[in-house]
Amino acid sequence: MKIRKAVITAAGPEQRELPLQRLVDRDGAAKSALRLLLDEAAAAGIGEVALVVHPDDRQRYLAAAGDAPAPGSAAPRVTCLSQPAPRGYADALLQARAFVGDEPFLHLVGDHLFLPRGATRPAAELVAVAEREGAAVSAVQATREAHLREYGAVGGPRVPGKERLFAIDAVVEKPTPTEAEQKLFVPGLRAGHYLCFFGMHVLPAALFEPLAVALHAAADPRKVSLTEALATLPGRARWLALEVEATRFNLGEKYGLLIAQLALGLSGDDRDDVLAQVTELLLAREKGRASR
Amino acid sequence: MSRPVSPSVSQTASPTASRLVALLTATDDATRHRSLDGAVAGLAPAELLAECAALDAFRATTDNLYERVRALFFLQAIHRYHLAARADALPAGGRIPHDGQQLLLDRRFEEAIGRFRAALESEGPSEALCSALAAAYRGLAFQTLADQVRRSVRSVRGNQWMFRCGHPLDQPLQLRAELLQRDATGRFPLLRERTPVRMDLTHCGWSDIFFLGMDYPEGARVLNVSIDLGVHGRDAAPAPPVETFLRVIDAPVIRLTSVDLGATADLGELPLLFDFARDYLGLLKAALLAAGVVPPGIEGSGTSLRELLERLVGPGRGLELISHVRAIPKGSRLAVSTTLLGSLISLCMRATGQSRTLTGMLDEAERRTCAARAILGEWLGGSGGGWQDSGGLWPGIKLIEGVAAAPGDPEHGLSRGRLLPRHTLLGRERVPESARAKLARSLVLVHGGMAQNVGPILEMVTEKYLLRSDREWRARQETGAILEQLMAALASGDVKALADATTRNFFGPITTIIPQATNAFTERVIEQVRARFGARFQGFWMLGGMSGGGMGFIFEPERASDGGADGAGSGGGMSGARGGDPLAATKRELQAILSAAKRELEEALPFAMEPVVYDFAINECGTFADLVPIEAEAAALPSGYAPLRARAGGAAAAATASAAAAPAKSGGANAKSPSGTSAAGAAGAASLDELLAQLGFDRVEHEQIRADLVAGRIGLAQNRLSQHAVVRDVESGDVADLRGGAPADDVARGEAALRRGEVAIVTLAAGAGSRWSGGANVVKALFPFAKLGGRFRSFLDVHVAKSRRIARESGVALPHFVTTSTFTHAALERHLARTAEQDGSAAADADRDVPLRLSPGRAVGLRLIPMERDLRFAWEETRHQRLDVQAQKVRESLHAALIGWARAAGEGSDYRDNLPLQCLHPVGHFYELPNLLKNGALAALLRERPHLSTLLLHNIDTLGADADAGLLGRHLRHVAEGGALTFEVIARQLEDRGGGLARVDGRLRLVEGLALPREEQELELRWYNSMTTWIDVDALLACFGLTRAQLLAAAPDDATVAAAVRRVAAQLPTYVTLKDVKKRWGHGQEDVFPVTQFEKLWSDLTALPNLACRFVAVPRVRGQQLKDPAQLDPWLRDGSAAAITARCAF
Repeated sequence: MKIRKAVITAAGPEQRELPLQRLVDRDGAAKSALRLLLDEAAAAGIGEVALVVHPDDRQRYLAAAGDAPAPGSAAPRVTCLSQPAPRGYADALLQARAFVGDEPFLHLVGDHLFLPRGATRPAAELVAVAEREGAAVSAVQATREAHLREYGAVGGPRVPGKERLFAIDAVVEKPTPTEAEQKLFVPGLRAGHYLCFFGMHVLPAALFEPLAVALHAAADPRKVSLTEALATLPGRARWLALEVEATRFNLGEKYGLLIAQLALGLSGDDRDDVLAQVTELLLAREKGRASR
Repeated sequence: MSRPVSPSVSQTASPTASRLVALLTATDDATRHRSLDGAVAGLAPAELLAECAALDAFRATTDNLYERVRALFFLQAIHRYHLAARADALPAGGRIPHDGQQLLLDRRFEEAIGRFRAALESEGPSEALCSALAAAYRGLAFQTLADQVRRSVRSVRGNQWMFRCGHPLDQPLQLRAELLQRDATGRFPLLRERTPVRMDLTHCGWSDIFFLGMDYPEGARVLNVSIDLGVHGRDAAPAPPVETFLRVIDAPVIRLTSVDLGATADLGELPLLFDFARDYLGLLKAALLAAGVVPPGIEGSGTSLRELLERLVGPGRGLELISHVRAIPKGSRLAVSTTLLGSLISLCMRATGQSRTLTGMLDEAERRTCAARAILGEWLGGSGGGWQDSGGLWPGIKLIEGVAAAPGDPEHGLSRGRLLPRHTLLGRERVPESARAKLARSLVLVHGGMAQNVGPILEMVTEKYLLRSDREWRARQETGAILEQLMAALASGDVKALADATTRNFFGPITTIIPQATNAFTERVIEQVRARFGARFQGFWMLGGMSGGGMGFIFEPERASDGGADGAGSGGGMSGARGGDPLAATKRELQAILSAAKRELEEALPFAMEPVVYDFAINECGTFADLVPIEAEAAALPSGYAPLRARAGGAAAAATASAAAAPAKSGGANAKSPSGTSAAGAAGAASLDELLAQLGFDRVEHEQIRADLVAGRIGLAQNRLSQHAVVRDVESGDVADLRGGAPADDVARGEAALRRGEVAIVTLAAGAGSRWSGGANVVKALFPFAKLGGRFRSFLDVHVAKSRRIARESGVALPHFVTTSTFTHAALERHLARTAEQDGSAAADADRDVPLRLSPGRAVGLRLIPMERDLRFAWEETRHQRLDVQAQKVRESLHAALIGWARAAGEGSDYRDNLPLQCLHPVGHFYELPNLLKNGALAALLRERPHLSTLLLHNIDTLGADADAGLLGRHLRHVAEGGALTFEVIARQLEDRGGGLARVDGRLRLVEGLALPREEQELELRWYNSMTTWIDVDALLACFGLTRAQLLAAAPDDATVAAAVRRVAAQLPTYVTLKDVKKRWGHGQEDVFPVTQFEKLWSDLTALPNLACRFVAVPRVRGQQLKDPAQLDPWLRDGSAAAITARCAF
């Protein structure tokens, strides 16, 4: 199994601007957040990327995608797909059905940035695992239960002999801790922690069918989540969770962009410079306090 | 006397050689379920001790929880019932090490056992040590079980996270968006939950309590029905009895209101939510915690409620929670409080997204989570029932069964069963509509008016199950068969068969397993219903738990056409249903029977309220929620809500600022009784003054006592003898040990005196018996406490029956004085009159063998609000048995609230806020015998029986006391040697608290426990005062400075006699004591307050220099007093009841 395509969704009314924001990458070059996502996909060996965007945003996105790729990164071919009406995340993903065809594909959410803790990029690892295992794989991260309300979460046993890999047998969108405790069992995880989605999946094309069914049945399509369709996978297809060694940054959160920028700055070539400026800022504040 | 056992107890059987260890570890049911009594029958004390050593070694090493617990109960029972009760086989004497007792009180049971076993090793076995070991093993057994249940409750999936959540930022819950959307008027929506209560068709012998259900899941089965209720004649139609409401408010507080308890408070600080006994809102707080709204793990974190609410509801906002039980009284046996807790938890779960939908029914998984949390909430609140109590969350009729723990369950490997049972809904295919309709048309549910504490009974049932006591175990097997019969009767709609089964169940297994499931009231009502309705009365149905509360009576419907027609629906029996109520007239008559029986017995049994007859309907929804439309809000909220909040007024806002302010201003502890009762209090005050005037209350003396109390000249601490007093145990020769019986010459002397008619009995029955009744206003002498000789007998019945036998044997009547007081006189007088009437005789002394005479005493004291220092002395400086962790927290919270109450009500001021008689107190049993002199009763008898020379005085609850010829003969020997009084003492066991026989500064005398300079001295005293006293009439008169001639010449209330009494009284100390008094209000609600009173005590006569006292040791069965209802079951089991019954001629 070879993963060649990726889908990035960025059509949500609240998220449209986020991938277009410019940040300074670890190499010191200013790029759009979208470019960083494309670099992530490229590093995973993806050759074609579909961006699902608002019909009015096509040009701006294509322009942002045109930023120079990271050194050594091959630029994937980018296709812009329009979501005709703001019918929610699931509907946005469904727009890529034709683009994907019957191949498995990498899916990234457009309002997140991902930063590896080591040398391996998370998307690259995810795709490698999916190809090796011949299965759908969702990137997950152990998350404290206080944050369960923000994510979809999965449960299941570890895959024997495979590090950080789990066979998913249950998935719940934004569970309460009560539900999580009752439905999402993950052996070996710290108490009070659950495997929550990281915003990155390798999904089978077969997922579009249940997604379409869920959308068709829903009174309000905006309320249909990807999780609903994912919940049909256990038992039908092999679906794994990979606990990635990386950090995700939700650009849509309060200070999300700032924190993402700081993280990039502090892990890149300009780390010392950024650190010095941050320290100066802190000192200035302390001095101000002292003089008061 | 049997041979005493060897003092060496180290000759131990190894666990492998022990027959009891083999029994515990047996895999075949026939051996495993063998009773302890059967297994140890015929073993000599030394063999029993060897088995104990083996069991002790086994229980310390086994990994299996229930083997360990059962071994502990075996050890308890062997020490209590097979060793301590066979005192004739143990050497005399024996002391309980004080440090061991302290460990016991601190719940350090394992260490206490070590200490007591070491003493057993070094000093040899004794009655005292065996009683202490029994208590320690029992304590450890229940602690082990409780710890396991607590662990299971916390480890139920869905509950665990709440204990990890230690900071507001950890709070993962958020209020549902629907509840945060204001309407056009700016108000937030009101979410309402309505929950039926549950009734139990099977009365499962409490097989659903956790200790049983988790060890014997296959035996834990109940048929449980969710029902709506209405009070017959008051409510238009049955409705879910429990209603709860939740909404967002614009203040960062949690506002709690219990409409039926009349309490409301705005809580602005986290610690207040963990303070359960502070006010009447403990249940609402427990629900908030158990639902995770305020996660239990956040207790003591030092964080703020405002922060938590901000995360949960948003900045500046809070939550309001309202509870309402639609006037269903306490003790209904319908699990109202658990239902209320479940309803509140469900409401909170819905509001925080922990249920699939905000409104409507819950799904099965949600109901199970809610039920698990109700168990958690009960544990947090320091209480706990069985798992079927939350049955009202489920719809309709269901079978609830224990489930074996399987791999993956938190209980697996620890207990045989799971904490939570399985619920199987019995739909129309299993219980057809016609059967439901017939049941509804035939059954009348009632509340008899009594509410009792079931705690000690739950423990008794657990203990007997684990011991596999023969009768109870066989009965438990029968309940399974009856459940099957009930299921079959329901399936076929055969109400008569159903009624037969419930009746057989009640008179068979239920009352065998739980004797307290019946009482004189219940049986009288059944008898009268049977007599009145004949064949139309088809059967009785005990609704669960203890007697006198919820019960069911099954009748043939009044009109034949209503008898079996289908299609009327499961609410066919309720008023307002099609064709009217087919049992309306029956219900009216039943109400009359219940009320009449209550009137007859209310002076003997503690009724909390007037009996109630219900209308009911099966509820097919279970708990159900809806959003109340704004226009319907006023009508939906309980009518008491608005006035309650209006009264709280602006105080609520102020209360949020400070924890200290909350109780005083918003229905907290300082306002313990809901408003409305203060008016009753005022009305009561007027009649109290009238009563005081009528009784010749000595106001001057009262004011002097108050001044002394307030100034600290008297008080609990001042009751004690001087710290310099030297208190030692008795010396050899101080006590004549007659435990094995008196010699033949004493017996002959006594028998001769009885034949000459020289003896009369004085039964002390003036006291309030507050420990027995928990402070209720009943006459203990008349309390029908146990079924003996085939009928319920009162304490007085038993005493009279013993005297009747003696009188018949001696051929001479044995007169009885029953001393009375303002509290007991009228009731006893009515009782005697009623007895005479029933016996067909006009005279009060109907029984010629035992002529009864009342000796009225009129002196009363007026109770006072206690001083804070006395409360603190009693609760903080005096050692008490610590409770289980959560229950101890609740107790400490209650103590703090009661101290607050005392301060607010005015320390040392008159206690007036209760029924007049509950504000008065008897002035101590010393006065009861002098009253015989003052009121002329003794003189009257002396005129009739000039030979009368001896009185036997005993407490009403010393059930074994009688005019035993041997002891009488020994007393007469003492008198011949110059003695005046002969006191009976018994060998001390652990439960015998309250002083004992001592040498105080060298003088032999009885010392009250409250007078001992140091608490630990009590255990050094081997002999405990039974209060039973043989009195030489002339010597006693001489002590009072009177002669027989003077007494015979004196008229009642003679000044000379009164002065003589006053003179002796002045030589005796006055003790300040705290007593519990019950205050009843609302629908069966009761509060217990500690109040201060004053007493002079009989045993202090032994300190008078001019009164020669002697002391004899008697068997425990003769000297034991039944002070507490928890003592009743051991008394019935250890052979005491049988021995005393054998001495009765009923």
